[in-house]
Amino acid sequence: MDTIGVVKDLLAHTLQIGRRADVYTADSPLLGAMPELDSMAVVNLITAMEEQFGFVVQDDEITAEAFATLGSLARFVDWKLRQ
Amino acid sequence: MRPPGFQMEPFFLTGRHGALFCLYLAPHGRAPKAAILYLHPFAEEMHKSRRMAALQARHLAANGYAVLQVDLTGCGDSACDFGDARWETWRDDARRAHVWLTERAPGPVMLWGLRSGAALAAVMAGELSGVSRLLLWQPMINGELFLQQFLRIKLANEMLSEGQSHSGTHGLVARLKAGVAIEVGGYLLAPEMAAALQALKLDHLAPPCPVEWFEVSPQGGSALSPASQGAVDTWRRAGVDVRGHVLAGEPFWTTQEIMECPELVTATLKSLEP
Repeated sequence: MDTIGVVKDLLAHTLQIGRRADVYTADSPLLGAMPELDSMAVVNLITAMEEQFGFVVQDDEITAEAFATLGSLARFVDWKLRQ
Repeated sequence: MRPPGFQMEPFFLTGRHGALFCLYLAPHGRAPKAAILYLHPFAEEMHKSRRMAALQARHLAANGYAVLQVDLTGCGDSACDFGDARWETWRDDARRAHVWLTERAPGPVMLWGLRSGAALAAVMAGELSGVSRLLLWQPMINGELFLQQFLRIKLANEMLSEGQSHSGTHGLVARLKAGVAIEVGGYLLAPEMAAALQALKLDHLAPPCPVEWFEVSPQGGSALSPASQGAVDTWRRAGVDVRGHVLAGEPFWTTQEIMECPELVTATLKSLEP
């Protein structure tokens, strides 16, 4: 699975940024770099990932490191899927 | 610019803890076909969904229905802060609004609610007499799950400002149980409100009237979500006449940008017409 691709789609859809996300790469910063990514957007994104991938995100997994870049978020998803 | 055919009347009702801001829309020059009381959703969802509620109310009024929108205690332009809001007070607010509406627009009364407002509508259908139908938009099925999702906003806020969430939803729930109010994204959640939400299970609230159940889904399609289908099945087994409607659209009560779902507006009106 192209985790980065799927996560990018979820991000684009949940934050309603559409085609802007097309140019995002693993290094694209998320938290702090995207004004759309406020607390409600974070919660919506987590819910979208839970529904898409079928895992449950624990409270202590909601960290700035996980949401730092598109790459770190994709790595978080891959890690969750291996649990 | 006001489209012809209906009037809009803002006013305040007297609530148990102060004034309740209300907006009444009614068709011009003819008796309404029915009267509809709208019950809004929780906290920020109320603000994000204002536009859709307004569009729907106007569409209904332009097509011959009277609509009363009430800001519940602690919400919108009504008295008190959100931290003063109690589920029992909201039931009392709905009751008072219902009394006003039945006096102003005699005839069949329907309750229309979105998310937690839909749960409130289901509760009130069992408490008020003469409710002829429920219009439920994306009903909140499980209050405990809803509370967990709401508390997550606090964790996300901590992560954004401090790099790490240090509360946990379990810890927050424990504090609420111990009687401590929790601030979430600018809204103070009172322990009593949290307890009332936790106790809400929609499948235990089968109403004594027919139900139009609406859901929006980005993919569209015709199936209700599994959780919703479960509640609908329970209600049907209890003898409730439920019609399910799924529309393609975004969850406008939570989206980043204020969104509209015109299909939902059309379908809601259509469900009332023979």
